[in-house]
Amino acid sequence: MKAEITKKQRRRPRSSYEKRKARYGYGFISLWLVGTLLFFLIPLVKSMIYSFSSVSIEPGNLKVEWAGLSNYRHAVSKDPQYTDLLEETLIETLWKTPLILIFSLFIAVVLNQKFRGRTLSRAIFFLPVIIATGPVYEIISGDIKSTGNTGAAQFSTMFRTDLVGDLMQFLGVYGMSGRITNFITAVADNVFGIVWSSGIQILLFLAALQNIPSSAREAAQLEGATSWEYFWKITLPCVSPFILANLIFTVIDSFTNPMNKVMRRIMTFQNEDMNYGLAAAMAWIYFAVVLIAVGILSAVISRFIYYENE
Amino acid sequence: MKSLPRAERSYIRRRNAADRLWRFFRFLILFGLGFIILYPLLYMISCTFRDRSDMTDPTVLWIPRHPTLSVLKDTIEAMDFWNALRNTLVINVGCSFMQVASCALTGYGFARFSFRGKKLLFGIVILMMLVPTQIISLPLFFQFRFFGIKGVFSRNLIDSVWTMYLPAMTANGIRSGLMILIFRQFFRGLPRELEDAAYIDGCGPFMTFVRVMIPNAIPAFLTVFLFSIVWYWNDYYVSTMFFHNTRTVSTMLYNLDSELSLRMFGDATIKMSPREQIVWKQASCLLSITPLLILYTFLQKYFTEGIERSGLVG
Repeated sequence: MKAEITKKQRRRPRSSYEKRKARYGYGFISLWLVGTLLFFLIPLVKSMIYSFSSVSIEPGNLKVEWAGLSNYRHAVSKDPQYTDLLEETLIETLWKTPLILIFSLFIAVVLNQKFRGRTLSRAIFFLPVIIATGPVYEIISGDIKSTGNTGAAQFSTMFRTDLVGDLMQFLGVYGMSGRITNFITAVADNVFGIVWSSGIQILLFLAALQNIPSSAREAAQLEGATSWEYFWKITLPCVSPFILANLIFTVIDSFTNPMNKVMRRIMTFQNEDMNYGLAAAMAWIYFAVVLIAVGILSAVISRFIYYENE
Repeated sequence: MKSLPRAERSYIRRRNAADRLWRFFRFLILFGLGFIILYPLLYMISCTFRDRSDMTDPTVLWIPRHPTLSVLKDTIEAMDFWNALRNTLVINVGCSFMQVASCALTGYGFARFSFRGKKLLFGIVILMMLVPTQIISLPLFFQFRFFGIKGVFSRNLIDSVWTMYLPAMTANGIRSGLMILIFRQFFRGLPRELEDAAYIDGCGPFMTFVRVMIPNAIPAFLTVFLFSIVWYWNDYYVSTMFFHNTRTVSTMLYNLDSELSLRMFGDATIKMSPREQIVWKQASCLLSITPLLILYTFLQKYFTEGIERSGLVG
């Protein structure tokens, strides 16, 4: 029987179902393929070329002259702000990302419990998903051209007083290093930013939590596990793949955000100074930094991930 | 209850106490954080319906002393709101429809078919998510500025809807990599038997997709659709890049500063103090998110209840 089939396949290899399916596969992705070539790959290569050239606009055309590494050299050593901004953005992302992850996991666990008003709370916590990507968020977070007493500015003055220091003194902790207090104050100052940028992360974590079978909870309860143990032994391993996904998403989202300072710096070169080559070189350096950051982070995290199906 | 031994009773009592304590803290946490999220929205609403003089009146915190609609009317005029809304609907919402359709096709192709070079091509999808739009936006601009084949024909597509439509149609619009990934994950999760059954009933792969897969993927479609609309609606970067005369809601909001100075002093370069603008700014924020909020109230149940069916889970 089996031999018969293979014989048939050998005779007419082109029209076998699998082969036809492969062709349909190309059919399904063909639109994307054309688009990617035109609107992604070609511009990508061009921008790479621009970064090594001096680019100027002539009537009706674009003049591209090879300039070697000079744009890169300029970006790294001559531009007064670029490297500082890069460092600042990198550091901010590195300390904000874990906070966002921890916060969103915590909120997702809370929102996964059964209580009255759960739907309403979920609806509120997902609200940032629809607002936080746009210019509205810039205005309400008081980020854009310091808009005076908008939401966040007014809000964070509540925290700006030295509450943390006072609390520490009250508790009798005097010898704490300034760095830790600074860190705590920075976190308190950024509560607004963290809550507002965890919408999608909460959504993803909640989806992961809903995937944990309820039998796991029952078994754990029968064995006498407390909620604390349940969290560390069951919840955390189950959502660990999503921690990686969320981590990558958070890092990319904060790096590629047009409101981000490095991006703004690049845009001023592109739109105001018309120095396209330099702008492209800066963007590529930035992209390389992002890739390295994502690579290192995911390599570290993926060692701790537990996959159920493997 | 009485028949239980003492140790057990005290255990149950302790657990109930802990439960009650946790419920109290949960309420505190959710209420506090919910307030952080709702605060700017409430502030917007409060600002929109108050007179300008109320901004400097220290006794007015939330409820306006002189409630008025004039700020709202001014803002609608300054933003050219109805026009901008129409543009946004035509361009951004149109794009998000096309993008959802094309990304679904691509995601299905990657999920259910095996063909040569699939891994490499999927690598490109991942790359699309990683590369910031800013890197490719400039070459893309020139590409649209001189669209065509070199030496044969060339057209200026800047300021026409095609600059947004073409990438959206070919699954290369805003955050399309992420959307393809979501669809691929979702379609991979659907049982293979569906496909086989459709094949036996005489459906080709394309009809299987249209007749069998899409009806099964409605929740996923709605979720991705909401994302897509939101991302397109909120986009001002790509829109300002490609449109110079056509204004969408987001770009109007982004350029509101100069527009306001122009209307008040007849000169766009005069900088107004942030305090003076704030009522209009808040009103314009409220205006531009209201359509999204309305949409969200209709679609939110797909988020809040059945995310597990929506395809976000691998």
